[in-house]
Amino acid sequence: MRHPLSPFTYLTRNPSKVLPMGFVIVLCVFLIAAVASIANSIDLTVRTIYRYTEFFTYVIPQRSTQSVPMDQRAILEMQPEIDRIIEGGVFFVNIKTVVGRLPFVVIGSTPEERDYLLKRIRATLVEGRMPEEGKPEVVVSQPILENRNLKLGDVIAGPLDDGGIAGSPVPVKVVGVLKSDIWVAMSSRTFTDKTFLLTPKCLLFTTKVPSDLDVVNERLMPVGRKGDGFLSPEKVNVLTRANLLAEVRDSLSSMYMIMEVVSATVIFVIALMSGMLSNIYFTQRIPEFGVLAALGISRARLMMKIVWETVILTVIAWAIGSVLSVFLLTYLAANVFKQRGLFLDAMDPWAYQHTLPIPVAITIFAMVTVWVRLKRLDAVSVIERR
Amino acid sequence: MLSCNDICLDYVEATRVTHALKGVSLDFSPNKLHGIMGPSGSGKSSLLYILCGLKSPTAGNVALDGTSITNMSDAACARLRSQKFGFVFQQPFLLNYLTALENILVGINPDQLSASVQKAESLLSYLGLDGMGDKYPSMLSGGERQRVAVARALIGNPDIVFADEPTAALDKDNGYKVMSALADWAVDHTVIVVTHDADMLKGADVIHHLIGGCLVDDQPSNVR
Repeated sequence: MRHPLSPFTYLTRNPSKVLPMGFVIVLCVFLIAAVASIANSIDLTVRTIYRYTEFFTYVIPQRSTQSVPMDQRAILEMQPEIDRIIEGGVFFVNIKTVVGRLPFVVIGSTPEERDYLLKRIRATLVEGRMPEEGKPEVVVSQPILENRNLKLGDVIAGPLDDGGIAGSPVPVKVVGVLKSDIWVAMSSRTFTDKTFLLTPKCLLFTTKVPSDLDVVNERLMPVGRKGDGFLSPEKVNVLTRANLLAEVRDSLSSMYMIMEVVSATVIFVIALMSGMLSNIYFTQRIPEFGVLAALGISRARLMMKIVWETVILTVIAWAIGSVLSVFLLTYLAANVFKQRGLFLDAMDPWAYQHTLPIPVAITIFAMVTVWVRLKRLDAVSVIERR
Repeated sequence: MLSCNDICLDYVEATRVTHALKGVSLDFSPNKLHGIMGPSGSGKSSLLYILCGLKSPTAGNVALDGTSITNMSDAACARLRSQKFGFVFQQPFLLNYLTALENILVGINPDQLSASVQKAESLLSYLGLDGMGDKYPSMLSGGERQRVAVARALIGNPDIVFADEPTAALDKDNGYKVMSALADWAVDHTVIVVTHDADMLKGADVIHHLIGGCLVDDQPSNVR
């Protein structure tokens, strides 16, 4: 038999008093988890869309030149970790993201270079064929097709495209689909060379050991200290994963700060509200505690009873809120955000870390307010209130 | 033995002082049913709460077996009430989310719970509440609720049971049932009952009369 004063006895037999507070906590956890996940999803989106930067690095000539200067290329060739340097023509197609349409690079390469790069990212052709030489055709990975809601044979870029530097003077069709999580689009070098005459040629390099790429990148053009690297920032720019993330995080730092303030405010308000709810419930339970105190149950034991009731309630509500958040965010990620080019991790540990202060704050707040009232509790006045 | 010596209790309200008890001294000999009688406002309930350590007197001392309980810490006093005293109040004050059986066991230490369940069932049976253990207070009559409260007072085998107007909210029949249970307990324990109803103290061994906060006289009962 469970002890009558067990917190579980109270919690299971008083749903009308327990559920409203539990519901508030569940909603609060979902709110914080959703805000934190969505904020973090921008970072994840950049890492997902530009994940190819884990496998190769672009070296782009600065505006004054049409290709990477020879002295800069020579520096690349001297790096022992580099496996291969490929010169490619490029053009851009639009992709949908949460901040609007952004250009995504299409690499124009020879068939041999294309096969090498696709092998590097472990992408295989699952539908259609590879682009023919000189023709306005591309092969793209599945996530790009899903993002643009296109299918094999559709036009992915053309003269009617809206948006910045993306587009093509001739309609470019999707002729092949690659099975890969990594976003990549490839065309023939002959097509890019004859069609995009004014677009600079870039260099693309891989390392013998893929994990060396970050080391080489940092040596060539360190993040935040461009001038300290081997390459000249006046002549070239380097598109690396570290660079991209640093730029995104820097530009989003204000938003992250706002989010932290919002989270802290929500947690404070919820803790305050829950503390007030605890007080109301405690007021309703004063006869109970007065009688128990008169019967000889110490204030410390009564306090522990309330603490455990609060801890159990907040932990269960937090767990339910977290599970609910995972389900709802998974649904939203798949059905709402993905189509809008936002990648959301429904099980982002960072987001759930932000919800941990909720049960802690509520428990502390409830403990303090109830302890103050319990200290002033006069059992006789309860018993004599007839 | 419980005794009190020169107990005074003053209530101060703004500039007015009310002397609720004026130097009450009493010895409560063991194994007796003690009645404290008096009209409303005579200070009998206040005296009871001072005797059991729930209230502090303005002056005077209460001692249990020679040890003063008047200046005990809250925690020590709570321990004393839990281990040595039992209480029956005017209202049963049962917790409405607990069954009758659970209400009886509410003050029992968790490590003694299993051993006390059978005793609680015996008490229910002894108080004429067979089969009512799983009923919630809302399903019981006023008399049944008060008998559950009596069982709650007796479950810990207390040396002294304090009862404050235990029959005030009951009809005569239920009142006698409650008093009969308390009188039985007083055979080998001490029971102190506060009431204004002389009928209910017919079985008392000793009756103390309080009027205006002063002890008038002690009258042995002629019934028991």
